[in-house]
Amino acid sequence: MGRVQMILIGLLMTGSLWGCGYNDLQGLDEDTKAAWSEVVNQYQRRADLIPNLVQTVKGYAAHEKDTLEGVVQARAQATGIQVTPEMLKDPAAFEQFQKAQAGLTSALGRLIAIAENYPNLKADQNFRDLQSQLEGTENRITVARKRYIDRVAEYNKMVRYFPTNMTAKLILHLEEKPNFTVADEKAVAKPPEVKFN
Amino acid sequence: MSRVWLAPARLFVFLVMLFQPVLVSALDVPPLTGRIVDLAHVLPADDSDQLTAQLKVHEDKTGNQVAVLIIPSLEGESVEEYAHRVATTWKLGQKGTDNGVLLLIALKERKLRIEVGYGLEGTLTDLRSAHIIRNEIVPQFRNGDIPGGVRAGTLAILQMIEGTYQAKEPPSDRMRSKHGTSAFQYVVIGIFVGFLAGLVLSQGLRRARALLGAVLTFMVAQLASIPLGLIAAGFTALLLWMVLGATRGRRRGTGLDDWAWYSSRGGGWSGGSFDSGSFSGGGGDFGGGGASGDW
Repeated sequence: MGRVQMILIGLLMTGSLWGCGYNDLQGLDEDTKAAWSEVVNQYQRRADLIPNLVQTVKGYAAHEKDTLEGVVQARAQATGIQVTPEMLKDPAAFEQFQKAQAGLTSALGRLIAIAENYPNLKADQNFRDLQSQLEGTENRITVARKRYIDRVAEYNKMVRYFPTNMTAKLILHLEEKPNFTVADEKAVAKPPEVKFN
Repeated sequence: MSRVWLAPARLFVFLVMLFQPVLVSALDVPPLTGRIVDLAHVLPADDSDQLTAQLKVHEDKTGNQVAVLIIPSLEGESVEEYAHRVATTWKLGQKGTDNGVLLLIALKERKLRIEVGYGLEGTLTDLRSAHIIRNEIVPQFRNGDIPGGVRAGTLAILQMIEGTYQAKEPPSDRMRSKHGTSAFQYVVIGIFVGFLAGLVLSQGLRRARALLGAVLTFMVAQLASIPLGLIAAGFTALLLWMVLGATRGRRRGTGLDDWAWYSSRGGGWSGGSFDSGSFSGGGGDFGGGGASGDW
């Protein structure tokens, strides 16, 4: 009798320890960081494509100077931001990163739009390939952002819900993480119009 | 007596089955009925069978899972979003190597997409996917030859990803779960809890009821999230023990043989294979790689 009770009490104590969410919080914290790395990684990939793209467009439409320079500048701004994991603790830095990437997205959108006016450019094999790659990268960015949004939502819930919020605040000192906003998501997630015909 | 417990248990299982496939979006992901899911009925049976056979040979050799989905309409959803949703729902490709590919064709919108799993992004790059769409599929589609385009496109995909991976031994663990490791944890915790409940209950109760208690606690542990599952299972075990404990002592003995029997039962239940012999995704993941096109 006594032994059985001891086992049960032991089990309940272990259970309540698990219930405080220590491990879950740690795990989710790592998950959000991994999801964030993927977002940054994909944005970087996009930035890497741009010099080639600009060069190709220049070959056919050198006089579209404003648009071309706009892209180059927006790229410089976006890649100029030092991306660190600490950014996730700083909503202002996060916001700044978002804004820079959104700026690059719209500059790229304008660049692709002017390509419509140059049939020779549109037919250029190199340009079409770059467009495909750009389109692919934009899509990966969308996916990576969606995953980050989901992870952070999950994490933020744990940080706010009782009783795991006690563990988060008092033991682990974890804060809510900033997430992509919907309005911004619309602007950034919208890939540049790319047509194959 | 045990009937009284059986009804809620059945109801519970029923409810779980009822609420599991809750889909939020408008356009549902169709069930994965085979390697080629032709909801628009445009592929002749011969073509479909032949391609299916080729895809199977390819998977047996490389582990790559390639599937084709042809739908009548996207119903307003973007081809990228839908393709990603289908691919991740079907979990094409093997777990760990993520070597799945989905070729999605939407007839009404005249749009198509090759969605490439993480593990094949290096071989079947966005660019190569775009080339397959542009050079192999779209010309045939423009001539109105949908089956021809599907065949050419699929074969081009297979050719491209041939040799990236070698097929591994078929995975013995067919458990599906959102996170890979937690499936294992579920089982361990479930068995542990079932074991414990079996121990408690077998100390003086009829075999049938004790088994039922073990199975019930195991289900609770399996279906709730890990920490909650453990607590819930613990409480259930305690509750069962307190409620039923009054009648214990009718039978003397350690009940050790019963013990082993219950726990093995619990294990058998969890390890049950869901493989019905038809095609099913291996647990691969997709990060949005691939290319889209139209015709």
